Amino acid sequence: MSVLAVEGLTVSAKQAAVLRDLSFEVAPGKVVGLVGESGAGKSMIGRVLAGTLPPGFAVTAGSVRFQGADLVAADPRARRRALGDRLTFIPQEPLTALDPLMTVAAQFGEHLQRLGMPRSGRRGAMRAALAAVELDPARVLERYPFQLSGGMCQRVLIAMAFVSNPALVVADEPTTALDVSTQMRIIALIRTLQRDHATGLLFITHDLRLAAHVCDEIIVLYAGEAVEHGPAAAVMGEPRHPYAASLKASIPPVDGPLHRLVPLADTMPGIARFASLPGCRFAPRCPVRDATCAAAPPPAIAIAPRHTVRAAGACLSASGAAAAIPMPPAPPPGAGPPVLELRDAAKHYPARRNLIGLRHGPGTTAVAGASLTVRPGEFVGIVGESGSGKSTLARLVMGLEAPTAGRILVDGADVTVGDAAARSVRLGALQMVFQDPQSALNPRRSVWRLVTQAMEAARARLGTGTRAGPARPSRAGRRERAATLLAETGLPADLLDRFPAELSGGQKQRVNIARALCLAPRLLVADEIVSGLDVSVQAQILNLLHTLRDELGIGLLLISHDLGVVRYVCSRVVVMRHGEIVEEGPVEAVFRDPQHPYTRMLLASIPPDDATLPWPRESDVASAAAA
Amino acid sequence: MSAARFLTPRIVVGGALIAALVLVAIFAPLIAPNDPEAQELLYVLLPPAWAPGGDAAFPLGTDSLGRCIASRLVFGTRVALTVALTAATGAMVLGTLLALLAGYFGGRIDWLVSRAVDTWMSFPPVILALILLVGLGAGVDKVILAIIIVDWTRFARVIRSEVLVVRRRDYIAAARLAGFSHLAVLAREVLPAVAPLVITLLSLEMGIAVIVEATMSFVGLSVESDVAAWGVMIADARRSMYQAPWGVVLPTAAIFLTVLGFNLLGDGLRPALDPSLRTRGAR
Amino acid sequence: MLLVALRILFFRLLVAVPTLIAVSALVFVILRLLPADPAAMSLPPGATAEDLARLRAALGLDRSIPEQYLIWLGDLLSGDFGISIYFRRPVADLVSTALPNTLELVLSGLLLGVIVGVAGGLLMFRARGGRGEEALDVVSSAMMSIPEFLWALLLILAFGVAVPLLPFIGRMAPGMMTPPGVTGFLLLDSLIAGRLDVFFSLLLHLVLPAVALAIALAPLIMRVLRASLVEVAGDDFVTQARLRGLSEQRILFAHTLPNAALPTISLIGVQAGFMFGGTVLVEVIFGYPGLGNLIVDAVRNHDLPVIQLVALVYCVLVLAINAAVEVIYLLVNPRLRTH
Ligand code: SF4
Repeated sequence: MSVLAVEGLTVSAKQAAVLRDLSFEVAPGKVVGLVGESGAGKSMIGRVLAGTLPPGFAVTAGSVRFQGADLVAADPRARRRALGDRLTFIPQEPLTALDPLMTVAAQFGEHLQRLGMPRSGRRGAMRAALAAVELDPARVLERYPFQLSGGMCQRVLIAMAFVSNPALVVADEPTTALDVSTQMRIIALIRTLQRDHATGLLFITHDLRLAAHVCDEIIVLYAGEAVEHGPAAAVMGEPRHPYAASLKASIPPVDGPLHRLVPLADTMPGIARFASLPGCRFAPRCPVRDATCAAAPPPAIAIAPRHTVRAAGACLSASGAAAAIPMPPAPPPGAGPPVLELRDAAKHYPARRNLIGLRHGPGTTAVAGASLTVRPGEFVGIVGESGSGKSTLARLVMGLEAPTAGRILVDGADVTVGDAAARSVRLGALQMVFQDPQSALNPRRSVWRLVTQAMEAARARLGTGTRAGPARPSRAGRRERAATLLAETGLPADLLDRFPAELSGGQKQRVNIARALCLAPRLLVADEIVSGLDVSVQAQILNLLHTLRDELGIGLLLISHDLGVVRYVCSRVVVMRHGEIVEEGPVEAVFRDPQHPYTRMLLASIPPDDATLPWPRESDVASAAAA
Repeated sequence: MSAARFLTPRIVVGGALIAALVLVAIFAPLIAPNDPEAQELLYVLLPPAWAPGGDAAFPLGTDSLGRCIASRLVFGTRVALTVALTAATGAMVLGTLLALLAGYFGGRIDWLVSRAVDTWMSFPPVILALILLVGLGAGVDKVILAIIIVDWTRFARVIRSEVLVVRRRDYIAAARLAGFSHLAVLAREVLPAVAPLVITLLSLEMGIAVIVEATMSFVGLSVESDVAAWGVMIADARRSMYQAPWGVVLPTAAIFLTVLGFNLLGDGLRPALDPSLRTRGAR
Repeated sequence: MLLVALRILFFRLLVAVPTLIAVSALVFVILRLLPADPAAMSLPPGATAEDLARLRAALGLDRSIPEQYLIWLGDLLSGDFGISIYFRRPVADLVSTALPNTLELVLSGLLLGVIVGVAGGLLMFRARGGRGEEALDVVSSAMMSIPEFLWALLLILAFGVAVPLLPFIGRMAPGMMTPPGVTGFLLLDSLIAGRLDVFFSLLLHLVLPAVALAIALAPLIMRVLRASLVEVAGDDFVTQARLRGLSEQRILFAHTLPNAALPTISLIGVQAGFMFGGTVLVEVIFGYPGLGNLIVDAVRNHDLPVIQLVALVYCVLVLAINAAVEVIYLLVNPRLRTH
């Protein structure tokens, strides 16, 4: 008998079905993956199970049976008894999911008390459970969450989730907040525990490739609907639904041949638009739609045993994958002196002062002597995990931080000391695209005023009191430039007068890029500019970067934790770890034959595109643990 | 950016209260039924007109010197609002300026401002105001000066920490990279971001200034003792409050309504002016 | 734990020393701005210029201001607090009888305000989104719009005059003897002396002034606590606690409240300092023999030695209560404690 049986589940809010007609089962010891971009409704099922739907949301049809009992109809007390006991959850943000004021022992103890364990047995149980997640109980128990790393917190939470030997564990993006190597180790751990306890696992993620390796079965969600549901290897290997196929085609691969990504245009509709989409909700973006699609919700059609696709029109007849366009080779870097040169640049932060002004300890070294050159028009990627110093490096380049040692040259001019001269050298050559457009775009500025900010600054420098002067840009001139910049970054001109709050995530990031292009810099420094975006939007931005190179001949220093992204965009890669550059070379060479063990470990941490290859491999997990 | 978000109950009620008071202050001579200074010794401690023994000529009764309470209340708004406006604005300008410099530049100036705030904060505000008035001498202008000197820290403390938050946003760094000078960044990026908070605090500070003025009048350190100010009225009426409680209650009510108006306005303006709070609700 | 607390307290006090020096200098300088001559005012009419000069020399008023300051500071440190010009008694005596009264008042006001504020904050949180919250919000707005001393007058009118339930003048019933001073705190002394009648009279006389102070404090605590409760209630660890099947009761009191209490604790620290200011007029209105009454009398009579010392004592009190609250804060928050 299955642990969880969801039948025709529909969750509605404001007359719109946020989750439409969802059915699936989780058998003991099996892993079912819910895959979708943000807003697809993949977290809604967890909320239905926990009974924590947001106000205004309600189950309007279907049933959810947990171990045979109807959870929707169950009274809250009965449901609460199951929570944390037979039905447990692993959260997305481990660092914030533990009470910051309680030690691990106090929280774990509270959980065991809730499970009815007598006080005398709790210590022993905690030790055993923590040891099972490869934590040293002696080192962890009396610690507070902020004294632990994200990976350690997640292990504690996993230990708590499995200590009651639950029938079903719901893991909602359990590794999204973690570094790739930590992700691999956590995945290996969850899989082991789940197999050993024969627990059913509901694995919710945005990462199709990851799901393909973790799950037995995958359900791809789009706008609240399961568009494809089948064995993991089949869905990843040859997705049949047009959306699932394009989702796969949006992922920049880390191995195999490189093709041009074919992202979908536009974005997934939000709840507000559901009511206007009575038929296939994917129809507005579907490349193969026909007249029948928009009429009624398409039925789920079985195309193989245990493999269904929600299809009405041409879904299945059209060949799922568009013809792959191979990537054109990157143009060779331009002649002339390097745009940017770092010579043993280092950044050391002294320790904080305490109450009476004394410094404790030696401080931290964020970047320890990095040397690097970027030639005109060259795309260079810097990869590394959190704490590798890659973001600090970007800030050194931009002059937002002063190096404590070494030299920085821009266009051959020494800008190590960030004086006015250095500022004007940088202003002519470099611009930066920030990671989080939410923070990088002043919410009080309209789009045209944002993207032409540099012209406003020039105007302020030249002063407004003087007559004429050709360099003093007018309002009309600014708006014109803004329109050009929007066109260059693929934004419609009618956004000129909008404010950031009115834009989608992808649009904001394009505005962010457009602003950096305003003064026609020769090198863009981009810090994790796609990490907050869904894969299809990410692919759009990555292609935009290629277009910019081809059309403007611009260079790029791309900082990213995502090796696939760097491989797709850049021609040269620099691998950083603990503030040091451990490996550097042409992208394809480094990815095919990594020399440094750390690079090898990083590459092994990424689930391969071929779902039939084993991942994570035990040897890699062991070497990641040792690293 | 519509006007609708300014039509919350708090803003409407608070704004209406303040608008009404401003009108009363401006047109005081037209509104007041009697000369606020005139003493009618035959009509001492009259109750309000509607109470038994009241006299229609004195709608809210008279005080122990036979002066018309209604007229004195009306003229009292002038003192209260003058102090509220000037003192709060002064404290705002001083406090905001120092907070912007301290929060944005950090370092020495931040250290200096922070230590000054620490020193100020170790005084209960009333005590600092009292000794300032001993040093400066009594008078309503001195009260205004004292409020500015005492209360700039209220702005400095809160706005400095807000500046620290804003400063960490990437758009500040982006503005620098776009070529803005530090001063331009402060004026064009930081100040607009903290402006909603400044306006909110200004409104609340006006309420506080009204209270401080009343307190100082009550102790006799503000206006001359025959000027119609609410604090003076309360101090006078206190001696006869057993026979004539309305003499205390009415000016108290006037202070209450004024301060309530400023408080409601301040509380209401914050969410209405802050775009980040606004978008959070929309999502 | 105790050791940590003591260490923090020690550092706090160390930091407080320069602040106190700055404060004392500030007080001294402000008071020397005085246009009127305090010496002239304290002499009987008909005194000669020589009398004045003699008095000025005796009071040290003929020296430069920095000199006067250093002399005063030196006297303070050697335990000489000066003589009141107006009361003609050692300032130390005046302060040492008034101080315990003010402390009793502030501590009862603080206690009352915190209890009512925390209860109100919890109530508002429980009733969030409903009519109950709105009602409490309106009530708290109104409470905050009336300063302490006017609450004092209104309370006197309501519970002293209209419905004479409680005494409202002085520290105890007229005619009662002050219990022998052991601690200086009359509440304690009366208990030590076994005078329950005095004790209850003292307690009753404390009620209205303490309520007046508490009314000003409670709504602030209420609002800050409500806001932080709402914020914390949306935090991941609260959701996770719910997903572990903990009861709402348990979540509120074991997780949400302790985390939400942190901003409230810092608010109490600041407000407790302000409360000493609130006592000044409240004491005047209730004829309560504390520091507030003393300083107002001194201000009216330009009694500089008294003003100086009382102002300084207020600052010491504020710094002490801030330090105490900070220690509590650090003890509750492990993140700061372990640094
Ligand atoms: S072909 Fe029609 S039914 Fe199929 S995905 Fe496209 S729009 Fe939807």
